[in-house]
Amino acid sequence: MEDINNSLSTEDSILVKKSKWLVMHLKKEWQLYLMLAPTIIWFIVFLYKPMYGLQIAFKDYSVFKGITSSPWVGLEHFYTLFDNDQFIRAIQNTVMISGASLIFGFPVPIILALMFNEIINPKFKRTAQTIVYLPHFISAVIIAGIVITAFAPSTGVINLMLNAMGYDSVYFLTKPEWFRTIFVGTGIWQEAGFGSIVFLAAVAGVNPSLYESAVVDGASRFQMMYKITLPCILPTILIMLIIRIGNILEVGFEMIIMLYQPATYETADVISTFIYRQGLQAAQYDLAAAAGLFNAVIAFLLVITANTISKRVSKTSLW
Amino acid sequence: MKMVKSLITSIIIGSTTLAMPAMAEKAADGAFKVTDKPLTLDIHFHTKKYVYNNDWLVEKEAARLTNVSLNNVASMATTKSAEAFNLLIASGDLPDIVGGSSIKDNVNRYGPEGAFIGMNELIDKHAPNIKAFFDKNPDIRSSIQASDGEIYYIPYLPDGKFGRGYFIRTDWLKKLNLKEPQNVDELHDVLVAFRDNDPNGNGKKDEVPLFMRNWEEMIRMVTLWDGHASGSDMFHDFYVREGKLSHGYTEEAYRVGIRNLAKWYKEGLIDQEVFTRGSRSREYLLSNNLGGMTHDWFASTSGYNDSLKDKVEGFEFKAFIPPAGISGKRVEEHRRAKVKVEGWAMSFTNENPIETIKYFDFYFTEEGRRLANFGLEGEHYDMVDGKPIFRKEVLNADAPLNTIMWQNGAQIPRGFHQDYSYELQWSNKYALEGIAKYEAGDYLVEPFLGVSLNAKEKEVFDKKWATILDYMLEKQQSWVLGSANIDDDWAAYTSQLERMGYPSVLKVMQQAYTRAYTK
Repeated sequence: MEDINNSLSTEDSILVKKSKWLVMHLKKEWQLYLMLAPTIIWFIVFLYKPMYGLQIAFKDYSVFKGITSSPWVGLEHFYTLFDNDQFIRAIQNTVMISGASLIFGFPVPIILALMFNEIINPKFKRTAQTIVYLPHFISAVIIAGIVITAFAPSTGVINLMLNAMGYDSVYFLTKPEWFRTIFVGTGIWQEAGFGSIVFLAAVAGVNPSLYESAVVDGASRFQMMYKITLPCILPTILIMLIIRIGNILEVGFEMIIMLYQPATYETADVISTFIYRQGLQAAQYDLAAAAGLFNAVIAFLLVITANTISKRVSKTSLW
Repeated sequence: MKMVKSLITSIIIGSTTLAMPAMAEKAADGAFKVTDKPLTLDIHFHTKKYVYNNDWLVEKEAARLTNVSLNNVASMATTKSAEAFNLLIASGDLPDIVGGSSIKDNVNRYGPEGAFIGMNELIDKHAPNIKAFFDKNPDIRSSIQASDGEIYYIPYLPDGKFGRGYFIRTDWLKKLNLKEPQNVDELHDVLVAFRDNDPNGNGKKDEVPLFMRNWEEMIRMVTLWDGHASGSDMFHDFYVREGKLSHGYTEEAYRVGIRNLAKWYKEGLIDQEVFTRGSRSREYLLSNNLGGMTHDWFASTSGYNDSLKDKVEGFEFKAFIPPAGISGKRVEEHRRAKVKVEGWAMSFTNENPIETIKYFDFYFTEEGRRLANFGLEGEHYDMVDGKPIFRKEVLNADAPLNTIMWQNGAQIPRGFHQDYSYELQWSNKYALEGIAKYEAGDYLVEPFLGVSLNAKEKEVFDKKWATILDYMLEKQQSWVLGSANIDDDWAAYTSQLERMGYPSVLKVMQQAYTRAYTK
């Protein structure tokens, strides 16, 4: 009897202790939780709650009937999608465009950061940085306008230069073979500078004593960059790479909408533009949701794969 | 412009002193009363720039006459009509009346599901004026009814036949000693002369002989080779001939047309940037004295004769009748729609359907139609010889007449029948001249007013059509641009269309058309 009482009281006291600890903990760290709250709320409202709506990918959705009362149709929308040559082509184009911007676009900010790091004159460094950051803050509409003007056949800068060198004008924006180059190039120009900030921060975090001892050992600047800076920022590079791979299917959709033409669909039509045209313009929300869901599942698989590989190879991972 | 205005105003001044019948009509006020007790109905009405406004003079006058006032529930901050409608219908909380832009497809889709009230019986019993209109225009009735035969919305019905026409720099023609092109070969020669003979006289070969604000208008020139681009006032639509539907982009004549347009493009006769220059191309090419010819709206295109008078020396950009095609026929494919997808509808939550339909009917009476077209008598217009004529201070105001009308709630796309004389009274003289030229001939083709697909047909159409049209346009552009040859591709193209299901889409369209238009 006494034993039981004892054990009860100990359990009680554990509970009391736990809740006391929680109260104390909250009292002490409430600022941290407060700072965390907006992000959590954002996640719930904008990412978790909408998941409820994903079910319309499996329904014959009517806006008026609502999500719950629309009838189920199983995988029909997925059959429709994969029956469609244009969707298959859109997947291919998405992979091609993202792949190209990953291969050519990913190293550029790293190189930029390393280059900035080597600049000694602080004034020049600041000016150069500001100039490369700038395009990031220009809206996609304006960037598209600049691109269309620059590549225009009669008055565009690019064609004027070609003409000066004795070549004929090319109507770039209607040539499927040019679309990827222009799109990926524009993306690099716009985002490389801003993307270098993360790597610059990582470079700044490298322990200066490493460099000092390297100087003592007589290392050249290039050797220091190659042997110290790069290995030190490798974890950052890998994390950024995993994140990039997760977003591989999300190609800058507004830019493509503004730059493409039926004539360039062949290489320019990606999953998101396909969803926009077929789903939203033609008000087939259920079909669009199915395509979106497919997109998300593939992206999820890609992140897991990239993360696993990174974990095995370099012991750096997101989780 | 000024001349026409002063002409009209002098007519007004001359005659207003004679006739003052305005006051007499007030006697008949009670005639339009829909109910004895004042009734307020909620309305969600959104169209391009405007949300329904309780303070519009037209709304207030209508409320005074009918005893029914409308109360706006749409957010003033709304910018996109389609989004506004989707949000509204998804919320399930529908106001008594829903109206505005592009509601036809929506009401005909959600109406049969129960979101809107089918109005056939209400119209028969309580709306003599609407009924009379539909009896006189059975094709319009056929075009708006849903697949179940019910009418779910009262449409906005534009008046006037002509929308776009061919325009050419007549001063360039004179300068180069050319005549207005009468057929497709002459047109080709004129464009070549524009390209080569430096009509703008700057010594550079920078003229753009043929330009289009919408590249789809350039495709429409396949009509010169007996092709069809669209039967309705939307681009890339089906067309109808003697009760049979077809799509122009599948036909042999289209192949001939595109073959020739590709040739013209290659020769530099068509704007090389036609696909990317966009909506400002007309403004840019005309004001820089570069563009020679286009196919565009009468009113706005004629306006450049006034606005560029001082900027470009000798500028004269006039309409000319369609050049004869290869078969000798002159065709103007574009015409104004007789009936629009805009209008207003009654939602299922409406507890006063009889009063509502009577209110809708008011705008189909002579007085209601005049109110919706011209605004208020004494304020915006005066009656002259039994016809409403705009007052001179309204015509000469800083804002264009249509803006003034919109700001007062007239000419907004509620369910009403437009009166073309509204537009005539403020049209530029060049536009009137051009329209008169087109009016004198018989250039228009049979219009396709659209069909309502039932659920089964809609499934076929939705699944296949968007993809087919994408494919058609992709090919179309590549042929015109010369990256592929239409004659090499044609066999593969037609068999691919067949594989993608064009025959089944055409079949459901034809089925719906026959159901609606043959009695």
